[in-house]
Amino acid sequence: MGNSWMDPDLGPEVAELTEQYMAKKIGRRQFMKRMGVAGVGVAAAASILAACGGDDEPDTTAATAAATTATTAAASDGGADTTQAAAPAETTATTEAAMMGPVSGGTLREGYNRDVSKHDPATTNWYDPAFFAIYEAILSNDPSGATVPQFASGYSASDDGLEYRFTIPEGKLSHSGGTINAEMVAEFYRSIQTYSFIAGLAAPVDTYEADGNEVVMKMKNPWVGALGPHKTGYWRIVNINTWKEHSITADGELNAASTYGTELADGTGPFTHEEWVPGSHVLVRRWDDYPGSETPFFDNKGPAYLDAIRWTVITEAGQRATQLENGDIDTLINPAHQDIGRLESNSDLTVIRHPEWSGYHLAMNRDYPEYFGDRLTRQGLSHALDREGMVQAILFGNGAATYGPFPTTDRNYESAVEQYNQFDLDLANQKLDRAGWTMGSGGVRERDGVRFEFRYLVEDETVQKSVAEAVQAQFANVGVRANLDVVDRALAFEQQSGPGRDSVEMSLFFWLWPIPLDVLILFGGSQFIPVPNFSHAVEPRVDDAIASWQTSATEAQAQAAASQFQLAWAEELPYIPLMNQNATFVHNNKVHGWQPFVWNLYPYYNDTWIEA
Amino acid sequence: MADGTPTHLEAWNLQLAEFEESSRVGPARAALGRMRRNKLLLLGTALGLIVLGAGVLGPIISGADPAFQSFASTLLPPGSEGYLLGTDHLGRDMAVRVFIGIRVSLMVAAGVTLLSLVLGLVLGMFGGFLGGWADRTIRGAVDFVWGFPLILVAVLFAGGLGEGLFPVILAVGLVNTAAIARVVRGEVLSLSEREFVEAARAGGLSTARIMWRHLFPNILAPALVLASYYVAVAIIAEAALSFIGLGAQPPTPSLGGMVSDGRNFLQQNHWGATIPGITIVLLVLAVSLIGDGLRDVFDPRLRHEAKGVDEE
Repeated sequence: MGNSWMDPDLGPEVAELTEQYMAKKIGRRQFMKRMGVAGVGVAAAASILAACGGDDEPDTTAATAAATTATTAAASDGGADTTQAAAPAETTATTEAAMMGPVSGGTLREGYNRDVSKHDPATTNWYDPAFFAIYEAILSNDPSGATVPQFASGYSASDDGLEYRFTIPEGKLSHSGGTINAEMVAEFYRSIQTYSFIAGLAAPVDTYEADGNEVVMKMKNPWVGALGPHKTGYWRIVNINTWKEHSITADGELNAASTYGTELADGTGPFTHEEWVPGSHVLVRRWDDYPGSETPFFDNKGPAYLDAIRWTVITEAGQRATQLENGDIDTLINPAHQDIGRLESNSDLTVIRHPEWSGYHLAMNRDYPEYFGDRLTRQGLSHALDREGMVQAILFGNGAATYGPFPTTDRNYESAVEQYNQFDLDLANQKLDRAGWTMGSGGVRERDGVRFEFRYLVEDETVQKSVAEAVQAQFANVGVRANLDVVDRALAFEQQSGPGRDSVEMSLFFWLWPIPLDVLILFGGSQFIPVPNFSHAVEPRVDDAIASWQTSATEAQAQAAASQFQLAWAEELPYIPLMNQNATFVHNNKVHGWQPFVWNLYPYYNDTWIEA
Repeated sequence: MADGTPTHLEAWNLQLAEFEESSRVGPARAALGRMRRNKLLLLGTALGLIVLGAGVLGPIISGADPAFQSFASTLLPPGSEGYLLGTDHLGRDMAVRVFIGIRVSLMVAAGVTLLSLVLGLVLGMFGGFLGGWADRTIRGAVDFVWGFPLILVAVLFAGGLGEGLFPVILAVGLVNTAAIARVVRGEVLSLSEREFVEAARAGGLSTARIMWRHLFPNILAPALVLASYYVAVAIIAEAALSFIGLGAQPPTPSLGGMVSDGRNFLQQNHWGATIPGITIVLLVLAVSLIGDGLRDVFDPRLRHEAKGVDEE
């Protein structure tokens, strides 16, 4: 077996420094300094440090992530972007209390920009920050993006890439008090394969079995991306007995009326489910019997410091910053883009920004072929959209235009997609003309007696509504009338998910995922019609690229498949890509150990504490 | 009197003078004369004409598209070059959007008023004059509707018919109908006891004829006065429903929707919310002043009370 996280392929200088540190020949500060000289990033060094077992000195370094911009008024000089992680002393240790170290108690009040999802990894269509408090994944990403154990104490992969083994330590419990062993984890993973609509993310996985204290994952084929899905919210570990009791009927079907995830949840994380009120809030409480974490980059391996965490749903963008400034909340996920500069100039707050693996896309239901059946029409619509303008006007520059499915910051980004979908009104009109659309009455195009007018669904959230309105007006410029229908989140998903023409003609949706290709497979793969392939698009080129991705045994093959996928998407347009936004996290400086970083989407709360 | 309130005798003499004038010039001209002397009515009318003019003529004069976006010119304050009232977060011309918003508000108000006035008159007259099961049924229905908050009714209609102006008109119109029907019914009950109705009955006139020829003209004026009050209610209701997303849908601008959009950018450019907010205030103020003025002119009882005449 190789590839254990314990044996990173470190350069000799780094390995030597690590040995010296572990032998206590050098201190933490010296270690960090010399790592920097060796060319290792702050976050990566912090990760190694954490993996070595931490230190007796106060550690705030890991509060910032790779590729993260963290600024305070003192550090940022007006909030200008930097590519350096902010110095630890500038971001956190601001008061005497902070220097004294963590204290237990208090409720963290966190503002969240979305409505809440059902706390059931196997059946939810989105996972929220609460998943990182209630549940643990078998593995996680550390601040540098490296894979490290979380619920498992270690893992290994066979040299042929066909088998992965995850070691489950003894004594692991769930909130209900039940023991969680390898067999139970394997069974829950099998349940995901059977019941979860998102199971296709890990399609190359063949079976999950238990072998003693190990979960054995056998692959259909070698796949470099095999671990990716297992670090996300959808594969978080649930007590399978509790889950089955509530979620599976006597016939073995999924129980649509299950209260699992709404009235109860039985995870292994440091907090227990308490209240779940859609449109309002979620409350979790500290689990005092938490048996401890295997996650190397957590300083706190025991029960959480916080008594509770309360997420407040704030879908009105303008309200988020105000609530933080007024002291109604302590931390905030995604303030309105227009408020970020103001928050950065507030010396009581710390703003952390990083590129986000996300995107706004337009789904076009192909079961309305009279509108979206031909590529020329889709391309015409796409050329009508001024993405750069929307980034500036709606995101206040806090994001980037996307001409293909990936955000530009992704490591697999294929810049050749930029030859497609550029804003060009003349080209848009030409393509629509060539597609047979002629200008009709009221400035709306017609083809074969059909007016180019359709329903256009958007979720009721401030930024999404702005994006939708901007798109609507730009479509009108080329004679296309999109009748906007703003609905709440649950209804939006329902109306996007129907078969055939039961699903809405066009919808705006936003995806958020640490590995773009994994999730875009679901939106673009023909086997995922009608949901979550909201476009009902069958694109052979896209399907071929998906197959290549899910059989890529090396990074080079994965990159080739990713490029193939992006180019096919950008040209065939199963969806029209628009833009992605940067993720922004803000915390009151009295909050410590709150560590949002780019690879996991949300922060963990094991180390979080609040000054008394 | 020292405090300016007319004495009973002064008020009586004033009424007498008005009566003599109306006897000399006819009721219509007398009413016109009273309207000309009513400063609040004149102020309201002037304000109303300005706002109405902006709503009707503004978009025609400017010729601009309220949905046109200029991403390079977002959140500009009033007086910026080329933009009289500035721009919103998507770079749309606020002036044109406010003009269209006024038009939408007035359209909704007109629709609501027409609907509630016609239905309210019919239901109130039938209930009040026919009595019995008809009255009980209508009264029950009116009380039922009256018991629902407007927002809830609007949400129910939006759920059934989708968001937009039509459900808003129906919802607000229905709730206002209940209000008007209650008042009309009360008036009809009172009028039914009067001698001229008794005489009509004794003369063998049919129920329909009595209602149409004798009751309707007598309740039309108070119903119109009441309706004028509900125009303001309708404008506020439309703004409130648009504010929460149930009213006009994009790209149609509405004043409430603009306030809702603008409040997210108060720190960057508060005009996006304050301009449509002020417009709503002016619109409602104009309609209220006109309504109060009309009440003073056409509802003698209230007019007398206002002038300090003790009815007893």
